[in-house]
Parts: sequence; C-alpha cells; structure tokens
Amino acid sequence: MDILPQLIANSLIAGSIYAMVALGFNLIFSTAKFFDIGYGALAAVGAYTVFYLAKVHNFPTLVGVIAGVVVAGILGFVIEKFVYKKLRGRKASNTVMLIASLGVFTALQAVIAIFFTSQFQTLPSDLFGRGVFHIGGGVVTSVQIAIFVLALIIMSVLAWFLYKTMFGKAIRAISDDEEVARIVGIDTEKVIGRVFFIGSAIAGLAGILVGFDTGITPTMGFSLLLKGVIAAIVGGVGNVFGGVMGALLLGTVENFGIWYISGEWKDAIAFTLLIIFLIFRPQGIFNRK
Amino acid sequence: MVSVSILQTQKLHKHFNGVNAVDHLSLRIEKGKVTGIVGPNGSGKTTLVNLLTGMVPSDSGAVLVSEMKLSRIRPYDVRTYGMTRTFQQVRLFQQMSVLDNVLVVLTERGVFLSLFEYHTNFHLRQAKVVLEQVGLWDKRNENAENLSYGQRKLLEIARALAMGSDTMLLDEPFAGLFPSMKKTVAGIVQKLRSEGKTVVLIEHDMEIIKHLSDHLIVLDAGKLLAEGKSHEVLSRKEVIEAYLGE
Ligand SMILES: Nc1ncnc2c1ncn2[C@@H]1O[C@H](COP(=O)(O)OP(=O)(O)O)[C@@H](O)[C@H]1O
Ligand SMILES: [Mg+2]
Repeated sequence: MDILPQLIANSLIAGSIYAMVALGFNLIFSTAKFFDIGYGALAAVGAYTVFYLAKVHNFPTLVGVIAGVVVAGILGFVIEKFVYKKLRGRKASNTVMLIASLGVFTALQAVIAIFFTSQFQTLPSDLFGRGVFHIGGGVVTSVQIAIFVLALIIMSVLAWFLYKTMFGKAIRAISDDEEVARIVGIDTEKVIGRVFFIGSAIAGLAGILVGFDTGITPTMGFSLLLKGVIAAIVGGVGNVFGGVMGALLLGTVENFGIWYISGEWKDAIAFTLLIIFLIFRPQGIFNRK
Repeated sequence: MVSVSILQTQKLHKHFNGVNAVDHLSLRIEKGKVTGIVGPNGSGKTTLVNLLTGMVPSDSGAVLVSEMKLSRIRPYDVRTYGMTRTFQQVRLFQQMSVLDNVLVVLTERGVFLSLFEYHTNFHLRQAKVVLEQVGLWDKRNENAENLSYGQRKLLEIARALAMGSDTMLLDEPFAGLFPSMKKTVAGIVQKLRSEGKTVVLIEHDMEIIKHLSDHLIVLDAGKLLAEGKSHEVLSRKEVIEAYLGE
C-alpha cells in the first residue's frame, strides 16, 4: 500500500480541525486584540455538552451537537461581557487580559472535571456512523469526512459573512483600526460581543468533532488551542484566512513528520514549526511588516 | 443676529511631558460657518481636534456641544453629537475596498436586525454619491491601501461625508494634494457650507483659508493668538510675527 495518499488525507483532516480552531481564534484576536486562552476550554465545553445530553440523558445526538455549539457560543459571549469587557473598560493591558483568559481556561476545565471526572469518554457514534472509506488509496472514517466538509462550510460561510454582510464589514473595520471604527459610529463593544459568540461557537464545534473522532477529556481544549494558535501565528495572527493556510501547513508538517520520525514527535514538530516562524517570520505567511 | 455656537471649549487643557499642547483654551465654533484654524506646527491644532473627538482625554476644562457641557467625550459618542473628523495622517480601513470604507459607516449606529443583514441599494446609492464627489467611484473595488496619497485623503473625506454629520472637523485636508484635488476639496467645503453644515478647517495655505473660511482662529503654543474675520486677522501684526518667527 502506498502511504502517500494516507498521509495527505491525515494532513487534510488534522488541518481542517486546526483551521476551525484558528478561524475562531483569529476572529476574536482581530477584534478584541488579545490572546484569548479561555477560547480553548470552550472546545471541551461543546464536547461535554454533547456527552451530557446525548450520552447521559439520551437526547438525539444531533440535538446534543446543536446545543453544544450554542452553549459554547453563549458561554464565550457571557465571559466576554462579564470578564474581558470589564477589563477593557479599565484599560487593562494585554498581559492582564492574557492572564484573565488563562484563569477562565483553568476554571472551565476544572468545572468540567468536577462534573464529569477526568476520565476519557467517547461520544455516541450514530450521527456520522462508523463508515470507513477508501479514497485514492487512503482510508478515512465518516467522522473525518464530516470534519473536512464542515471545515470547508465554515470557511465559506465566514468568508461570505466577513466580506458581504454589514456586520462582517464592521468586524473588518474594527480589526483594521478600532479607534477610527468608533469615531465613525460603529458600536465596537456590541460587535466584539457577537464575535465572541461566533468564535466560541466555532471552538465548540471543533471540540465536538474531535470528540467524535478521538474521544474527550476535560483537558482536550489545551492541545487544540495550542495547534490553533500555532496555525494562526504561522498564517499571520488576526489574519482570518491566513490561519487556514497555517493550519493546513501545520497538519501537513505534523503528519509527514511523524511518518518519517515517530508519533511521539508530533507536538515537538508543531513547536519546531512555531519556533521557525517566530524567528524568521514572526508576522506569519500572510501579514506584512 | 444671534450666533449659535455648536462647539465650545472652556479653559480646555492638555499637556504632554511638560509641553502644553492646548493651554487653557476657550473658543467657540459657530454653527453653519467655516471656521479656519491656523497656527505654526506644534501649536496644538491637531490636539484640539483630538480633544474634541475624545481621542485624547483632557487634563482639565470642558467641551460644550450645542451648549451642552460634557464632562467627557468618548470617540463612540462623536457621531451621536453629529460630528465627524478626518485625520492629518490619513486613517482608512486599509484592508477594505474603497466602497466598503464608505459602506461600513452607512450602518445605523451599528444596529443590526440580524447578523446577516446586507447593505441595500439605498446604501449603495449614498456611497456612490460621495465617491463620485471625490472622483473615486471608478476605484471602488481597489483596496484602500493601494490608493495614492491624494486618493487616500479624498477617500477619508468621502467617508466623513457619507456619515452626513452636521459638523466636520478637517485636519489639513489640502496638505500634499495636487491642484486639481485641492479644487475638489474646496468645492466640497463650499457645498457643505451652502448646506448649512459647520466646518472646522485646519489649513496652512493662507490663500485657501482666506478663500474658504468665514471665521479664523489663530493658535500659538496652545493659546488663542487672534480670531475674527480671516482677511482682517491675517493682516494683524502679532499674527504675522508668529508666522515669521516660526
Ligand atoms: N500624542 C502625543 N504625545 C506627545 N506629544 C504630543 C502628542 N500629540 C501632540 N504632542 C505635542 O503637542 C504639541 C502640539 O502638537 P499638535 O497638536 O500636533 O500641533 P499641530 O497640529 O498644530 O501641528 C506638539 O509639541 C507635539 O509634539
Ligand atoms: Mg497637526
């Protein structure tokens, strides 16, 4: 069997997950302008909402998924309103914001562990089935195909949203020059609140999909966040579609890397890529300056 | 005739590391007139506009908008007070198209019925009007960052026009423009005046100031040096000295 098609498939699937995480992360970073670590925990919140509804209470899995996405979105919105917005109002520095979001991350993760224990869990498999497909010499599961397709859909919807809607244009204006956006009358606080909802919902979906693919633990958000952030930095922080390219590059380098070296090196490879970029091109592939 | 002041400062003060950029300044901007503000470099013209638009907080003193005393102006309130401004160093939404730079301000105070609302043909027509006024309609799909310096200045003016504000604060809108572009901007100022809008015009070129402004304010080191009718003020000895001594 030829390994190349499998490596490409794995790269695309990993890249799709990282891309989703990076999309939401960049959306939040480009408007609120700080590194939102708490964002990572919302992936676990989404996944555990599905677990709670579909596995503990036997709701249909699809209901769980929709609820998981919405709960993650609302929680992100609420955290922004009661923590980050208050801090912004007091002109908190980026370091303070970073530490506050680290606190949010730790707290959410702890709450999940208290209610659901730290044990590894799986999500019901009825939604996407357990199908296995052979595509061009590679083997992929139905969940993985769903991941790829949903990532494409989210990217397209987001592109349409940012470039065509009033709200999307306001988001781009804020990411370009927040002060001027305010002067021209854009309600930046309201826009940022809604961006937190959208970004957090995307994080929730990414967590749910990872949960279907490989299972869930309360700490699952951490590695997802790291990969999303690396993808974002590689593509150019705050550059929403640069992050997608960064994610694909990261997924590819990781998967080809572990084939040539070995699986334990996956995170080391990711960080090597990060360090290379931080040294030689800290602004990422797509940002200037 | 009763003159109404739409903007007023009372002992407004701002210092930066020991420099009094605006020094206990009290002045009035009259409604429906073009008020020119001149003064040597560093005399506090830009800082004054920054104070009036809440972009820098004042140390002391007050700003009155339509006779209403405000303890604090925040940038987000500027539009609510019917004001808008341009910047000496042009500030556009660089990564957005020329058209989107205008469309994005044509949203009613950021109120969206839904997340998925589009700009309508009504907004598009408004954008077309202001972009044609500055001759940039043909460039509407260019990214703002790809425009020439002069075009960027014109786009910023178009964006301010699109907001339909009653008071426009223009910080050196003519600086560095080619003569034909200067003509365009002068035409816009005259049109605004004929529509009864209030214009605050910061400008170095005395010919332009004489030609366009009804009232002139001369600043020097953050203080009011002189004010009155432009031709009269410009012939005063202390004003001439402030410039020659620059
Ligand atoms: N953000 C700032 N930080 C420090 N000093 C400033 C700042 N803005 C203006 N100044 C100082 O305030 C004074 C007035 O500047 P400015 O308002 O730009 O004058 P003008 O627009 O008349 O040329 C200058 O001495 C300038 O150096
Ligand atoms: Mg100036």
